[in-house]
Amino acid sequence: MGPVDTSACVHCGLCLPSCPTYLVTGDESESPRGRVVLLNQLWSALDAGGSGDPSAVRAVDSCLDCRACEEVCPAHVPVGHAVEAFRARTVQAGHRRLPLSARQAARYFGTERGLRRFQRLAGWSQRPSGRAALRASARVGGTLGAAALLGAGLPNMEGSRLAHEGVRFGGEGPRVALFYGCVMDSVYQATAAHAADLLRLSGYRVVAAPGQACCGALHTHVGDTGQARAWARRNVSSFEAAGAEWVAATAAGCGAALKEYGHLLEDDAARQFQATVRDAAELVRFGQRPPLPSRSQVVAVHDACHLAHAQGIRQEVRDLVRWAGYTLVEWPDADVCCGSAGLYNLTHPTMAEALQQRKVASLPVAADVVATSNPGCLLQIQAGLRRAGRPTPVAHWVDLVWEALQDEGLV
Amino acid sequence: MGLLSDLRRVVGPGAVRADAALLDAYAQDAYTLAAVRPLAVVWPGRADEVAAVVRVLAHHGVPLVARGGGTSLSGGATPVAGGVVVHLSRLNRILQVDPVAGVAEVEPGVVNTWVSRAAAAAGLTYRPDPSSQQACTIGGNIGENAGGPHCLRYGVTLNHILMADVVWADGRQSRVGSLSGEVEGLDALSLLVGSEGTLGLITRAWVRLEPMAEASATVLAVFGTVDEASETVSGVIAAGIVPAALEMMDRLAVSAVERGQYRVGYPADLGAVLLVEVDGLAEQVEEDAARVQAIAAQHGVTHIQRAASEAERTLWWANRKTAFGAMGLISRNYYVQDGVIPRSRLPEALRAIEEVGRRHTIRIANVFHAGDGNLHPLLLYDGRDAAHVERVQEAGHEVLDVCLRLGGTVTGEHGIGVEKRADLARQLTAQEMAFHRAVKDAFDPRALLNPGKIFL
Ligand SMILES: Cc1cc2nc3c(=O)[nH]c(=O)nc-3n(C[C@H](O)[C@H](O)[C@H](O)COP(=O)(O)OP(=O)(O)OC[C@H]3O[C@@H](n4cnc5c(N)ncnc54)[C@H](O)[C@@H]3O)c2cc1C
Ligand code: SF4
Ligand code: SF4
Repeated sequence: MGPVDTSACVHCGLCLPSCPTYLVTGDESESPRGRVVLLNQLWSALDAGGSGDPSAVRAVDSCLDCRACEEVCPAHVPVGHAVEAFRARTVQAGHRRLPLSARQAARYFGTERGLRRFQRLAGWSQRPSGRAALRASARVGGTLGAAALLGAGLPNMEGSRLAHEGVRFGGEGPRVALFYGCVMDSVYQATAAHAADLLRLSGYRVVAAPGQACCGALHTHVGDTGQARAWARRNVSSFEAAGAEWVAATAAGCGAALKEYGHLLEDDAARQFQATVRDAAELVRFGQRPPLPSRSQVVAVHDACHLAHAQGIRQEVRDLVRWAGYTLVEWPDADVCCGSAGLYNLTHPTMAEALQQRKVASLPVAADVVATSNPGCLLQIQAGLRRAGRPTPVAHWVDLVWEALQDEGLV
Repeated sequence: MGLLSDLRRVVGPGAVRADAALLDAYAQDAYTLAAVRPLAVVWPGRADEVAAVVRVLAHHGVPLVARGGGTSLSGGATPVAGGVVVHLSRLNRILQVDPVAGVAEVEPGVVNTWVSRAAAAAGLTYRPDPSSQQACTIGGNIGENAGGPHCLRYGVTLNHILMADVVWADGRQSRVGSLSGEVEGLDALSLLVGSEGTLGLITRAWVRLEPMAEASATVLAVFGTVDEASETVSGVIAAGIVPAALEMMDRLAVSAVERGQYRVGYPADLGAVLLVEVDGLAEQVEEDAARVQAIAAQHGVTHIQRAASEAERTLWWANRKTAFGAMGLISRNYYVQDGVIPRSRLPEALRAIEEVGRRHTIRIANVFHAGDGNLHPLLLYDGRDAAHVERVQEAGHEVLDVCLRLGGTVTGEHGIGVEKRADLARQLTAQEMAFHRAVKDAFDPRALLNPGKIFL
C-alpha cells in the first residue's frame, strides 16, 4: 500500500484540540498535524530503504485512528487513514510484526467456531480464576488478554448462544440484512435480535446473510490489510447472495469499515456493497408513531468515534433515545475517544487508560445509563466506570430503545 | 550540569523531549515559510515550573519560545533562533468562572472556545473569536492580541484581559493589571498583550466575560462584484449601524470553502459574499437587519437571506471560519497576508492586490474582516517550487505596500513574528523603532525571549 496523500495539510493546527492523544500528552508530535510531519519524514526513510526513526514511529503509532481530526480538518486531510497505510507498509516491509493480539484475533474472529471459543473465553474471564490466568496473558499482549482487561466491562453472559441465533427474520418492506460483528455477536447476546425487531417496526424485511465474516477493521487498524481483504470479499458476496438492499450494522467500528470496502478492495462489487451499508441508527425510523411515554431514566450518550467522526452520525442516536421516552443529559466531550479503539487498549494500555479515566470522570452525575453504539466503547466505558466505583450501566442504544418498546407491548 | 538534565530536574523527565525526529513537529507554526528545529521542547505543568524553566534557560543563556496552539500566522511560535520551545499545552485548566464578576481565571494553554463553553451555563461568553478559536489558546491570543469577526463591535483581546500572572526573562514572577481595571504606574499588561512572547510569559489570565446578546440576526448577501459588496459595507457603516461582525469572501475563497466540510450552497457565479451579523436588543436587531437588507438591495445584491435557525447561522460561520484551512483543497500551500486599510478604500485596495497577483502570476483569494478594513489576501502557491515560494513572498510584501500606500498598516491581528520584521520597519519611523527597542531591552536585556521576532 502506498502513502495516503496528506499534502493538502496547510499546517493550520485547527485539528489539535480534537485529537485525544494530544489532549492527554499536550505533545504536538502526538497530534494530527505533528503526525503529518512525522509521516512525511517516515515515508522518505522507507523509500530510502530504512525503517524510520523509532521515536517517530512510536509517536505515529500512538494514533487511535479515531478520525476526530479528519472530521474537523478544513482540507479533509485523512490523517487516521494515513497512519493505517503506514502501518500496513511497515508490516509488509517486514519492519514490524503484527501485535500478538492481532494474530490471535484472526483465530477467533472470522468463523463461528472461533467466535464461540472467544465467547467461552469471555465468559471464563468473568470468573476470578479465569481472570487471573488471562491477566497474565494480557501482559504479553494477547487477545486472551483483551477479554481479561475488559472482563470488568463485560455484561452478564448466559448460555452459549451467539447473538444472531436469536434474530427473528421477516417483516414487510425493503430487504435489510444485519451485519453481526464479532464482539457484538459473541458478547452482546440480545442486541442483534433487538436491532432486527426495531428494523421490522421501521418497515424493513429482515433477511439472513449467512456466511458473513469479521469486518476486518481491527486488522486494517494494525496494518494487516491482507486478512482484512480476504474477509471483505467474503462479506461482499454473502450480502449479495442474501439479496440485501441494505446492510445494517450495530457496531460503529464495523459499519465504518464496511463503508470503506470500495477503497479496500478497489472493485465495483465492493463499491456497490459499500453504498448499501448503514448504521442501524440511520435506518431505524418510527415515522408517524408518537413518542413513547416518558421514562424515569436519564441517558448520557457517548459518541463512538467510528460513528461520529467516521460516519457523521450523532443526532440520530439521540433522537431515537429521546423518542423512546428517555431524558437526555449532554456529556461534555461526548465525542472524545474512550480509549478502546480496536486493539489499542492492548497495544497502548497507558494511553487507553488515561482516555478511559477522562471519559468516566466527565460523565454527568445526573446520568442513570450510558448509551453508545460500539462494543469496544461499551466494554471500555463499563470497565472504567466499575473501576471508578460508579454503578452506572452502559448499554447499546438499540437495547434501550427496545426495552422501552417492550414496556409498551410493541415488540 | 547540562541543559537537558537541568530542565528534567525542574519539570521531570517526562516533560522534556530532545529526540531530533520528534522535534520536527515543533519546527513551525501555521506560518509555513520558515522552519527551524528547536533544541528541545519542555512542557511545564504549573506556573512555578515555567519560572524554573526560564531560570534554567537564563542560567545557560539559551533562548526560548513560548508556544500555545501553534496557530500563529506570522511565525510567532517558530523557534527561528533555535533554543527551547516552552509548550504551555499542559497548563490548560479553567480555574474559575465567576458569573457575578463576569471573569474567568484560566491557564494560558486553555483553548479559546473552551472559555465560552465553560461560561455558557451562566449566559456569558468570551467575545474575541479568532477564526482559529477551536485551536488557538488564551496565551497565544494575548501574545498576538488576536481579533476575530466579532471584534468589530466588541473589541480585540486587549479589551478583554483584566489581569495576568507573568514570568519575566530572569524567571521572576509578578501579577500585572487588576480586576477593577485600575493600574498604578505604566500599564505593563497592555504592553504584554501583543508582544508575541518577547517580554514575558503569561502563566495565568483573568479574562472578561460578557452576557450573550439578547437577540441576533445573521444576513448573508451575495453580490455580482466585489465593488458592490464593498459599497454595501460602507453603506452599512455610514448608516450608523455597528454590526457585531461584517465579513467578506471573494469568489476564489468561496470556491475553496464550498469544497470543505461546511457547504453553504452558494451560487457559482458570484463575485463576493457578505456575512453581516447584528445583535443587541430584539427590537433593535429587527430594525438593523431590515436596514442592512435594504442597503444591500440598493447596491445590487443578487441573493439575500437571513439565517432561519441557529443551526444555519452556525453553518455559515463554520464555512467562513474554515476558509484558510480550506485553501488546502485548491492549492498545495497558501500564504495569508494580514494588512489594514481605511475601509473607504476597499475597492481600490482589492484592485491593487489583484494587480499584484497578476504581475507575479499568483492566484489570490480574499477573506476579510470588511467592517474594520482588515484584509486577508490568501496567496496560493506550491511550496515544492522554490521560485514560486520566492515570488509569493515578494508578492506578500507588495500587498503590504498597497496597504501602506492607502494609509493603512502592515498587520491587523496576525502579528509581526518573523514574517513582517522588514515591513514593520517600513511602517514605523526610526524614532518609533527605537522606542520599541528600548522597551524590549528593558524587559529582556539578554534577548532570551523569542529572539528573531518583531525586530530585524
Ligand atoms: C485558520 C486560522 C485562522 C486564524 N484566524 C485568526 C483571526 O481571525 N484573528 C486573529 O487574530 N488571528 C487569527 N489566526 C492567527 C492565530 O490563530 C492567532 O494569532 C492566535 O492568537 C495564536 O494563538 P496560539 O495559541 O496558536 O499561539 P501560538 O501560535 O502558539 O503563539 C503565538 C504567539 O504568542 C506567544 N505566546 C504563546 N503563548 C504565550 C504565553 N503563555 N505567554 C506569552 N506569549 C505566548 C508565542 O510565543 C507566539 O509569539 C488564525 C490562524 C489560523 C491558522
Ligand atoms: S491536518 Fe488539517 S486541520 Fe490539521 S493542520 Fe493539517 S490542514 Fe490543518
Ligand atoms: S485519528 Fe484520532 S488519534 Fe489519530 S491523529 Fe487523528 S485525532 Fe489524533
